[in-house]
Amino acid sequence: MRNTYLWFMQLITGVLIAVLLGIHMVLMHLDAILGFLGVDVTKVTSWESMIERSNQGIWAGLYIALLAVVLYHALNGLRKVILELTPSARAGRVTTWVIVAFGIVTFIWCSYVPIALLSA
Amino acid sequence: MDENNPITFKVQRYDPEHDDIPHFQEFVVPSSRYMTVLDGLLYIKENLDSSLAFRTSCRMAICGSCGMLINNYPHLACHTQIEEFHSDTLTVKPLPNLPIIKDLVVDLIQLFNTHKSIKPYILRQDAEEMGSPTVEYTQEPHALDAFLQFTHCVKCGICISACPTSASDRLFLGPQALSQCYRYCADNRDGGEKERFPVVDIDHGVWHCHLAGACSEACPKGVDPALAIQLLKRRMVSRAVALGKKQQPSSTVPSPAETKPKLPCPEFTVK
Repeated sequence: MRNTYLWFMQLITGVLIAVLLGIHMVLMHLDAILGFLGVDVTKVTSWESMIERSNQGIWAGLYIALLAVVLYHALNGLRKVILELTPSARAGRVTTWVIVAFGIVTFIWCSYVPIALLSA
Repeated sequence: MDENNPITFKVQRYDPEHDDIPHFQEFVVPSSRYMTVLDGLLYIKENLDSSLAFRTSCRMAICGSCGMLINNYPHLACHTQIEEFHSDTLTVKPLPNLPIIKDLVVDLIQLFNTHKSIKPYILRQDAEEMGSPTVEYTQEPHALDAFLQFTHCVKCGICISACPTSASDRLFLGPQALSQCYRYCADNRDGGEKERFPVVDIDHGVWHCHLAGACSEACPKGVDPALAIQLLKRRMVSRAVALGKKQQPSSTVPSPAETKPKLPCPEFTVK
């Protein structure tokens, strides 16, 4: 049932992206909503504000979670597209391992900054 | 359409022993009201060119032999009247997404092999009873309704020829086998999910369906393979995440002859 679990995870990550990306979009771009909530919108997109948020566990965790679900959702979707165009078992295996390796490297690379800031 | 209105059949010809690529040949066929495309092809075969190759058998949309692309849409030739097209020209080609053997004859071996792979028969644990049945398995009308429409598949290959995923992925199991997989899993007499799910839970299996719905639109028997595939997906996820109640295969019941009282024999009218 490997493919069933992979598809189910695709479904779950899709929902999580909607939630996590929604929080990110509200925070970064929807000034009217933030203004209504009493947040200083001039400060939100500044460098200092970003560093300050990354120092807080909840925001760092939120961004790392968003990174993980986006990577899974996008790379699994890409894998399915490539598998459809590579009708051979060997090409399929190579594609899967290249994409898994790319996903792990990208996750480690991109989550390094918030983790480093948290531990600083 | 006028009586005996001549119709031009543009038929794709291809003999792999002599031709490099397929080409078209035109035949003028006298048509009449209610004449089917298959009647036109039989006229060509009998009167104009006996070398034209196509499959046909029952002439009543039951055997699934005469699937072909008529005016760029897959139909059963015996189930399609010429006047439906409101045109004096018909283009007839073999079904796409399937290898051509000759002219309008395509190779359906892949379809039958895939169909066989999903074990299209009732699977149960009681092998002894299955081998030499002594009683009947319970099946109420609502249980039959759950899969009845999927039993109408005639294995003509039209759903595969209409499927965009089959066009791009030659390893895709195809809507025919996937819908038949659901048909047997949904049968309340069956207990073979564990044997069938690994067959369709592969990279080029049920999760590769794009849900284009072209199979359901093209099916000449009114089967809805896209619905079957969606229901199969739901069933597989339910089993994978342990949601939903898995029903045990139906139990056996004694034959009606044993349980129902014997009807009294009517009186003879002639003594």
